[in-house]
Amino acid sequence: MAKRKSLRISSLFKALAMLAVCVWSGLPIALIFISSLKLPRDIFASPPSLFFTPTFDNYARLWAEAGNIFQGLFNSLIVTIGTMSLAVLVSLLAAYAYSRYRSRWLSVSAFFLIAIRLIPPIVITIPLFPAVNALGLNDTHFILIILYTAFFVSLGTFVMRTFIDQIPRELDEAAIIDGASRLQVISKVILPLSAQGIVAVAVFIIVYAWNEFLFAFIFTSSFAKTAPLALAELNDSFDGVQWGVVFAAASVQLVPILLFIIMTQKYLVAGLTAGATKG
Amino acid sequence: MKGNRIAIAPYVLIAPAQLLVIALIFVPALYVLFLSFHTSSFGQAPIFVGLQNYVAILSDGYFWRALTNTVIIILIVVHLEIVIGLGMALLLASWTRWRPALLAIILAPYAVTEASAVVIWRFLFEPQMGAVGQALTALGLPTLEWAVEPMHGLIMVALLSVWLHLPFTFIILYAARLAIPTDLYEAGAIDGATPWQQFRRLTLPLLLPAMLIAMLFRYIFAFRLFSEVWLLTGGGPARTTEVSAVYLYLEAFRYHSFGTASATGWLLVLASFGLAYVYLRSIYKEMFRGQA
Repeated sequence: MAKRKSLRISSLFKALAMLAVCVWSGLPIALIFISSLKLPRDIFASPPSLFFTPTFDNYARLWAEAGNIFQGLFNSLIVTIGTMSLAVLVSLLAAYAYSRYRSRWLSVSAFFLIAIRLIPPIVITIPLFPAVNALGLNDTHFILIILYTAFFVSLGTFVMRTFIDQIPRELDEAAIIDGASRLQVISKVILPLSAQGIVAVAVFIIVYAWNEFLFAFIFTSSFAKTAPLALAELNDSFDGVQWGVVFAAASVQLVPILLFIIMTQKYLVAGLTAGATKG
Repeated sequence: MKGNRIAIAPYVLIAPAQLLVIALIFVPALYVLFLSFHTSSFGQAPIFVGLQNYVAILSDGYFWRALTNTVIIILIVVHLEIVIGLGMALLLASWTRWRPALLAIILAPYAVTEASAVVIWRFLFEPQMGAVGQALTALGLPTLEWAVEPMHGLIMVALLSVWLHLPFTFIILYAARLAIPTDLYEAGAIDGATPWQQFRRLTLPLLLPAMLIAMLFRYIFAFRLFSEVWLLTGGGPARTTEVSAVYLYLEAFRYHSFGTASATGWLLVLASFGLAYVYLRSIYKEMFRGQA
């Protein structure tokens, strides 16, 4: 009897704790999106207005007054797709090599790849900034794509490797006996069988490239300016006056990637666990 | 001939990855080491000055302020994340209903860019009108005047960082918790262990490696903290909320003093490797085990 009562209390406590977790994690995001559909007078209504007529006014004003956020979204899309393609390709090739071959030099290079990832990104901007300017690569999508890839390739390689390790080597050998080249083995055997790992790596890269701020801030100014940068400038310039427009801007940047994360959370979990423990 | 080709193949396959990393991270990082011993600015050839840059930043009050702020924020943020993340992981692991939906909500902040997070938190903590600001006033508590009070600014940065990075810490601990075999708990229950004993004797020791990994990564990544501070306070008021990366940025890109910026950068690199030393050593041992 007493035991059942304490059980009920503990499950009530658990439910309250879970509610707190959901409020903490989800409410701030929900609030942004909901507020973007409110008129300015409703945004700061006290007590908060739960019932209001949704309006797209803020989005219309965003389009009219701060249209460069949409250019920013387009730039982010290019950079994200570019980074994903390059990083997945480069990581897949390296992961295959680390999974299937053994040598002292390969171990050295793998260790190098893991260690180099510890260097803080801001450090390398000091010499790269003048170099990038001199090469005329400043404010291009290309510079962001190769920088993002360079910083992601070690995580990508070792996450992918844990997936390739699970594919039996006999399959490679059978294909080679049938006359396939190494590249054919990778594209015809490994690629389809490690699809899970490739998606896991791609999910990480997409979230990272879509949201990255520091490199975009330093290396782009107008032509290739990405959405997070445009959003930050909008937030700064309005200084809290036009909250509705800022919320609309945050929503258009946030909602696509949020939906993407929800759809791919299975891979995110798999990749993060593989990546965190394997380097 | 054939043996030769097989020996070359793996190096060809790793070449693109290695070249990108060498050209864009390794060589620039070495050049930063070189620059840290020189004075240099735009269009000026570096002049060797020995350790002068290091002396300059180590005797700069702003540098120490930034370093102190960084350390304070890391200590708060990382340990809060571990405690809350552990609680969340154990809670969700003992939960059966709507688990995918709850997982999606908990992971959601992972999708948020720092720029959006700053919008969200500025809105919530707006002293006069924001929801949290109003709630604090209603409870008779002081509001966070993060734009005016340095300490409040740092608290805002810490809160925002915890919110943003909790999914990472959570997921590592959650995965580790799911990996503990259930029969261990069943055996514990048969032996009459209380929930607290199970936590002390079973869960905690088995999760310890994952906790250390999560902490290590968060230490290293929190050390490079830049965007949250830059977007929230810009390091102000009067350079009081700067962190090391912001200090480096200002030295390099506002004062165009590449030498002192490089010295700061190289200290950041050394600190990162210092934090990761044990981790790197264990990886090194594992990799070279059985190889002469």
